[in-house]
Amino acid sequence: MSQMTQDLSRLYPEIVVLITAAGALVFEMLRMPRAALAWALAGLALATGLTLPLLGMNVDVFGGTLRIDTLSLWAKLILLPATMLSLLLARAELAGSDREGTVYSLLCFVTFGALILAGSGDTMFLVLGVLLSSLGSLALVAYPRNDAATEAAMKFFVFASVTGGVMIFGLTYWFGATGSTLLSSLGRLEAFPLAAAIGLVAVMTGLGYKAALAPFHFWAPDAYVGAPISIAGYLSVVPKIAAIFALAQVMRDLSPSTGWALIIAGLAALSMVWGYLAALAQENVIRLLAYSSIAQAGYFLLGIVAIGVSPLALPSLVMFAAAYAAMNLGAFAIVQRTGFSLESFAGMGRATPIRGAAMTLFLLSLVGIPPLAGFAGKFLLFGAAMDAGFTWLALLAIVNSVLALAAYLRIIVPMYKPPAAHNKSFFHLDASPHLITLVWSVSVIVTLGLGIAGQWVLSAIQ
Amino acid sequence: MLPIVSITLFLPVLGALLVMALRRAPATVVHGIGILTSTLVLLGTLWMWARGIEPGTFSQVEQIDWMPTLGASYRVGIDGISLPLVLLTAVLFLLTFIFSAKVKERPHAYVVLMLLLETAAIGTFTALDALLFYVFFEVSLVSMYFMIAGWGHEDRQRAALMFFLYTLLGSLPLLLAILGLYLGSDQPTFDMRAWIANPPLSGSAAMLALIAMLFTFAVKTPVFPLHTWLPAAHVQAPAAGSVLLAGVMLKFGAYGLIRFALQMTPDAFREIGMVVLVFGVFSALYGAFAALAQSDLKRMVAYTSVNHMGYIVAGVAIAALATDPAIRAVALDGSVLQMVSHGLVTGALFFLVGMLDDRAHTREMDRFGGLMKFVPFLGWSFILAAFASLGLPGLAHFPAEFQIFLATLREAPAALIVILGIAITAGLYLRAIGKVFFGEARTEWAGMPDLNRREVLTLAPLLLLIIVIGIAPAWLLGMIHQTTTSLQF
Repeated sequence: MSQMTQDLSRLYPEIVVLITAAGALVFEMLRMPRAALAWALAGLALATGLTLPLLGMNVDVFGGTLRIDTLSLWAKLILLPATMLSLLLARAELAGSDREGTVYSLLCFVTFGALILAGSGDTMFLVLGVLLSSLGSLALVAYPRNDAATEAAMKFFVFASVTGGVMIFGLTYWFGATGSTLLSSLGRLEAFPLAAAIGLVAVMTGLGYKAALAPFHFWAPDAYVGAPISIAGYLSVVPKIAAIFALAQVMRDLSPSTGWALIIAGLAALSMVWGYLAALAQENVIRLLAYSSIAQAGYFLLGIVAIGVSPLALPSLVMFAAAYAAMNLGAFAIVQRTGFSLESFAGMGRATPIRGAAMTLFLLSLVGIPPLAGFAGKFLLFGAAMDAGFTWLALLAIVNSVLALAAYLRIIVPMYKPPAAHNKSFFHLDASPHLITLVWSVSVIVTLGLGIAGQWVLSAIQ
Repeated sequence: MLPIVSITLFLPVLGALLVMALRRAPATVVHGIGILTSTLVLLGTLWMWARGIEPGTFSQVEQIDWMPTLGASYRVGIDGISLPLVLLTAVLFLLTFIFSAKVKERPHAYVVLMLLLETAAIGTFTALDALLFYVFFEVSLVSMYFMIAGWGHEDRQRAALMFFLYTLLGSLPLLLAILGLYLGSDQPTFDMRAWIANPPLSGSAAMLALIAMLFTFAVKTPVFPLHTWLPAAHVQAPAAGSVLLAGVMLKFGAYGLIRFALQMTPDAFREIGMVVLVFGVFSALYGAFAALAQSDLKRMVAYTSVNHMGYIVAGVAIAALATDPAIRAVALDGSVLQMVSHGLVTGALFFLVGMLDDRAHTREMDRFGGLMKFVPFLGWSFILAAFASLGLPGLAHFPAEFQIFLATLREAPAALIVILGIAITAGLYLRAIGKVFFGEARTEWAGMPDLNRREVLTLAPLLLLIIVIGIAPAWLLGMIHQTTTSLQF
């Protein structure tokens, strides 16, 4: 078997996702949105299945430009199912709307970009991944074609193009210094501290925007509020995790002398604290969850500072990514069913106890209360950061959990108050409640399962 | 052999699942399930007791791999320090379920939360894996938050919020300390037995871990100046919540102080034992004075908890300072017995205040007077519990406090100033009894019914145990002593 064929065989999941995206578009052109949905779900399930036999592999393909390693494989195992759940949520929200099938196609395209990003071994693949996922995301945000969505997409677009431009500009310094676009050649940067610093800032800007890290987060709350709720949930999970994993891919090869770990730690501190402080002031649940996802991005960085230093770094990133995907999508699903103002949550926990309990579970998991998935992930992240000598960051992250609890209790507290008089119906947003219930039920199972039986993920990583 | 510790531990979860499954069941059935489950739990703990413990080690250890890559396992077991607390927990939960049979407001959720809290409490005392301990420690917070927020008094939302945020902030440093101990141990493991046998940290790392743990357990116990969440939570919590909060959950702090701080960082603890002693003594005195200033009965009892828990902290500090193993054992015997006594006595007092509140809808001392004429059984029960609380010989607190003071006298005589606390509590209880039950009878309370059958069933076992422990503490002390004499550090 030639090198090319062998490499291609390792990329079957990516190839299947690409074909799925194109096929969904064809079904939309035939005016068969339901077929597009079924096709997309089947394609993503197939891609997930094709990933499983690759687990444990650690190779480069196409001359080192793409990596098949723990991060990229687990990105597939987490992001593909997350996209499938998002497809169901999108169906529940947007069924019957004009151009419905394009949403399914675009979701697959964005996920394709996210997978490229999470496995990139080359700076140009970073750029490609960011652009691929940004273009599709823009169209998804603008999908409702009303003023809010258009404004949100516009802000999103300006942010995407500026940060993308900065990233490409800065990366040319790395290319100039090392003579290669491969991440594996970043070790040569030690001789060029200035070029290393400029490139580092550029990468942080480009990926920080994608992961909605403070201070590159300003687009996120507006974009999430303007977009359909299902799209907001998707954007808060899939591109974010991909960008975090890409950041890990870059930092793996960067020498510690560039001081990147301290910069990442600073960004982590800023994101965590700022995200929850801002969340405390929100009246719109989507905005609250948007700021919460900014803070959670900061928590992810605790794993990145330990890359190459602590054996806990990779398990912590993967575990928290899986946990975050489940609990955040679950929370967004319930918001989609209940309504996006805090008032619509009043009394929800009493009127529909199971849904209320599920929402409480997701939010407590986001805080990091044991024995839920969020705790398993954060616990490993704290351990990784301490192991890497960033005890102060772990301490800050831990103390910050109190702000997190205060922010999420803003949703939990009204849920168990008697319902407000003007808010009699809880069922005003349900196009197809069963799909939404299915999504959050899956999320509940994963959130509980990862918390109690996280060993399954841990031993698969080893 | 039957894994009786695990069965006992997870019985309440089964009960909770059953209640959740029977969503249409009437309140009586739901409360019946609660009472039945907690009775079975009590039988389970008695079975553990019957199987007995061995000195110097953990007994009845049950273990299965949980996250072997991390060295975390599901490990539970008991020793002479945890078994009395497990017994106390089982007794208090059963009585609380009996007392709560009156709750008509959302009984399903109420019983489910109580049962989850019971598993969390027994789990906290029996866990031998630090990660597992932390899991149970935190789950108890969540259940208690919802109990206060759902069934508390007027200002419950604010109090519940403060309780949750404050104690979460309090428990997080423990997570740091656990991570520190984990990263410091030779083999990556969360096995508490390994950490106790070979303290993994030394020098300044041990000191930092100890300070983190002291912070956590000082919030939980609580110790001045970290006690401020306690009166607020107690005043707003339902009576059953107060009983469990004071009777069981405060013990998490004192238990952790021995199990984690003393046993896992013994050298660091010895170094700053004096500081801890000062905090304990001050806290005990502060609690007594603050209780003296209260006019609300529930607040008063809440502050006496600060006083009694202060003695425990002082006792543990003496044990850390003592070089003579005999003195150390006496101090720890007293401290552990004090935890049990405090659980029983304060549990009874909170039940009684709750019963008064049910009848009068007020807890202001000055609104009452001469109640003994209308409710003699309630009155005499209160007097008995109050006398026990102020440390009268022959009642439960006396043998415990006596041993703590004895060890204090030998190790740090100046700290005996703490005995002043007893005088103050005596004064405040006599004042409360005089105001509420004696003096001029107020006609507005003339129709007040005395204890009903449910309430007698709740109180009688507690009062009986208070007397039994007061007169013949040997059966309990023997169990505790077996472990405390063989501690190595």
